[in-house]
Amino acid sequence: MLEPTSTLRTAIIPADDLPRALLTIAVGAAVVSVALLFFEVFRARARGASSSPLRRVLVVVTGLLATLTFVAAIVRPQRLRAREVSVAPRVVVLLDRSRSMALSETDVANGAPRIDVAERSVAELRKRLGGRVDVLAFGNGVPRVDIELPPASSALMRADEGASDLSSALRALAASPEDAPTTIVVVSDGAVALPDPSTLTGGPKIHAVAVGNGSPKDASIRAVHVAGAAVAHQALPLRVEVGCTGGLSCGDLTVTVRELREPDAALGSSGSGGSSTSTSSGSADGSELLATGTASVKDGTATIELPVTIERAGTRALEISVGAPKDDAIPENDRRLLTLDVARERVRVLHIAGRPSFDVRTLRTWLKSDAAMDVVSFFILRTPGDDVSAPDEELALIPFPVRELFTEYLPTFDAIIFQDFDAEPYGLTPHLPAIARYVEKGGGLVHIGGPNSFSNGGYAGTALARVTPVEIPKVIDVSQGVDSAPFVPVRTPAARASPILAELEALMATSDDDLPAFPGVNVLGDTLHGGVALWTHPRRKTPSGKPMPVLAIGDIGDGRSIALGLDSTRLLASGPSAAKNGGRGFDALFRGLLGWLMRDVRYEPVRAKLVHASGNSDCLAGAPAALRIEASPVLGPARLRAAFAPITAPRIRVGEDAPSTLDVPLDATPPALVPLGAAAGLPEGAWAIRLGISEQDVEPALGALATRTLGACERGGSEWADTRPNRDNLEKLAKWTGGAVVSPGKEGDLPTPTAALVALERTVSPILPAWAWGALAALAMSLHWFVRRRAGLA
Amino acid sequence: MTSRIDRPSGTNVNRRGFLAAASATLASAGVLGTSREARAFGDDGAFEPKILLAGGVSGAAHATSPGRWSAEVEKRTSAPARRTPRLMKPTDPLLLDGPFAYWSGTSSLTALPSNEVAALRQFFALGGLLVVDDADPDVGTFGKDARREVARILPDSVPVAVPNDHVLYRTFYLLKPARPYGRLAGTATCDAIIHAGTLRVIFLAHDLGGALARNTLGTWEMSVEPDGDVQRERAIRFAVNIALYALTTNYKDDAVHAPFLLKRKASVP
Repeated sequence: MLEPTSTLRTAIIPADDLPRALLTIAVGAAVVSVALLFFEVFRARARGASSSPLRRVLVVVTGLLATLTFVAAIVRPQRLRAREVSVAPRVVVLLDRSRSMALSETDVANGAPRIDVAERSVAELRKRLGGRVDVLAFGNGVPRVDIELPPASSALMRADEGASDLSSALRALAASPEDAPTTIVVVSDGAVALPDPSTLTGGPKIHAVAVGNGSPKDASIRAVHVAGAAVAHQALPLRVEVGCTGGLSCGDLTVTVRELREPDAALGSSGSGGSSTSTSSGSADGSELLATGTASVKDGTATIELPVTIERAGTRALEISVGAPKDDAIPENDRRLLTLDVARERVRVLHIAGRPSFDVRTLRTWLKSDAAMDVVSFFILRTPGDDVSAPDEELALIPFPVRELFTEYLPTFDAIIFQDFDAEPYGLTPHLPAIARYVEKGGGLVHIGGPNSFSNGGYAGTALARVTPVEIPKVIDVSQGVDSAPFVPVRTPAARASPILAELEALMATSDDDLPAFPGVNVLGDTLHGGVALWTHPRRKTPSGKPMPVLAIGDIGDGRSIALGLDSTRLLASGPSAAKNGGRGFDALFRGLLGWLMRDVRYEPVRAKLVHASGNSDCLAGAPAALRIEASPVLGPARLRAAFAPITAPRIRVGEDAPSTLDVPLDATPPALVPLGAAAGLPEGAWAIRLGISEQDVEPALGALATRTLGACERGGSEWADTRPNRDNLEKLAKWTGGAVVSPGKEGDLPTPTAALVALERTVSPILPAWAWGALAALAMSLHWFVRRRAGLA
Repeated sequence: MTSRIDRPSGTNVNRRGFLAAASATLASAGVLGTSREARAFGDDGAFEPKILLAGGVSGAAHATSPGRWSAEVEKRTSAPARRTPRLMKPTDPLLLDGPFAYWSGTSSLTALPSNEVAALRQFFALGGLLVVDDADPDVGTFGKDARREVARILPDSVPVAVPNDHVLYRTFYLLKPARPYGRLAGTATCDAIIHAGTLRVIFLAHDLGGALARNTLGTWEMSVEPDGDVQRERAIRFAVNIALYALTTNYKDDAVHAPFLLKRKASVP
């Protein structure tokens, strides 16, 4: 390639400060003067003037001399000396390191990975271009200096980007402060996002080396389109595109959509599957079938619409899979793992009270005051022992529709509130397993105290106890189930630190007050299932010797649960103590509790997402991964704890490491990236991730106070949706910029870029000072005048 | 549904029995020295027509009626009720303990001092409901004076007639015809101050307490006119409905009840 060369150039140039217009006028005037001179000389000759030819010649010569010095006096000529260096052109090689480059180069499934071919091509380009060749890897976002990994590294590690955004890469190059490249060479399989051709105008030529000669037999999910935002309880249309390539005969393919949940969250799930296009049934692995349908493949593609209804808000994980024919060579792209943020239009609450009381009234009034709350209430107003003194027709009472509520309508509620409700007399006991499953699958449960709650309500040892964050003791007599001594609850450190009760804490701090004295409590046991006690009893202990929980929260499977062993929280709304703050304590308490129960982000201490280590794209299996912390209760130095629970069986390859726990220091100022897993990256799978962040010297709480989110890593993601290389894309790109496309091994056919000239030194010096040019002009003019007069010319 | 709360262990102690026993035990132990301490777990949110001592009123116009009111609520419904309602001045902090008060009388009222006006304003601000029961509606002095004082407490509120399709007439009983009842027939409607769709003050001109009053021997203290026992039963049902309104507000307005109630209304003559 061209080596840098140095050349010296000299020239005479006009004065730098001379306007171009003046130069033009001067030259024009000179030309006119010369023309007039000749005109006069010829006219004198024609009229037979007496002057000799010699004198006429002298007139012409002195005239020309005067004109020249006149022009020189204006132009003031200078001498230029420039030392110029020719340098080799800057060439940027953009190497595609997206995950599609890990696919086979040919139509043989286990052929050489495209990235191997591409790396060889880059080495050849380096050799041929020499000089200033910068090799940048592109994928998602700004290209980075390519770092060659050891040849022994897997193709997945070397093709570890989650996208092939060539458009962003070219844009970043154009905006770079470095000198612009004269030539760009893209080494890719062509499965890239192309830029708008208009943005390439005036830019460097772009050549390409097209990697990939074919693709194996493959059925895949090409794309999953979600129409609009996902809202709980509302049908969400999913449009799934499937495709078959490499000569695979597909015909009809079954497409299935499942919601993934933690396996222990779906224990005992039951229901019937079916072939209808929208259904719901559980399975032993924790997933629940949401929809299924058949796609008929024609010309290699098919599209199917599958409406799904997700009942729970928050982050939800979906698995969309296609039943591929047996010759399918790439099973990894037969399914997609998506995480969706499901919004909630309204919170739908089922409020069930065992008897009317002022506490019931206060809670109902609060629930109904929130326009975003859709409240369905059932209060037991009469027991058979009551003497109503009237026939049923004269009563405004309706039967308690226990069966319908807890079978047919149960999934439609976001939360259930049992307030002082006895399970046994009203036929609730047979439905407790369904309610437990409802919670484990994402529902919210609030169990509020009273003489008929917890132990006295017959809940000990039932399925509901399984989803209650405290132990419900078995009692022999109802008097053992309650403690009627007044007390003021103790607020635990967790309550003081948690955003759940922050508003109530602030309210009490403002009014310099404590919680009111409550007239008794339900007797409860230790916290369970990672539950956290927010309030405890000042005197009573659990059998294990710990302070007895009065208010506790728990993260149960996919759902959340609250146990409140009081029957008089209305004292925060209307008691003497409430008068100090206008009764806002009740609102602060239940806003926090319901907000946490419904996973309102205001009550979540941490927001985080499982991503690619670059932070720019979704997580890819077999590539470096990270947790991107998007919101943290601590800014600056902090400590992060995280626990990972798989919600689908991980598909692990050699060297990959499924995460389980994490306990690391970090600078928690969002956005922060926390690297995860082994060097070989995470396996393919989806996880429920519980996170806690605290000050550096405090152990972050997990359990119920942790933030729970879902994350997934796919093997190929959208990069493997269509496994075919796309040379046409590269041809288009080259055509737009006047470049060329070659195949690997033909790098020598690419045109050699021309050298670029760079002036390193430039010296300008005047030939004569300005006054000298003026004097010469005056002298020449005088001489010319003298000669003209002697020759008899005017 | 069953009325008994049968325990898995075979115990036969029911809720009301337990509460009574608990209260008795605590009382006998000398723990219950004040009305505040008299509450037992589960009894705290019970219905209690607290007797308001204001404007020169020294008790309920019919002394036994508030207790009878509680007893009827407890007998006829699942709601707990305090059988011995307390007497309270407006400035008593315990007035705020439960959002319900009963103000009855027969004669004129003195103007409430400003501290009592402020205390009652706070009672309403925290969601309180006051029933004003004129025990001598033929004269109407108490009712008129009570309206005057309520106007001082809630100056921006004007009493309006409670429509006969209001939930007050179907919170427990389907009252037919839907109107207020008491010892006297009185007007076909009652007035109320309504705030944000919720009743704050109910003005009765039918001597509801007179229909409820009963002595310790179980004899009704006052005769009910013009319809005697039928009217008394309706007055008791109306009182129960008021209590259930205090405990559940507009629960019976919920859409889930609508089809049942429409069907029943159609069937009741």
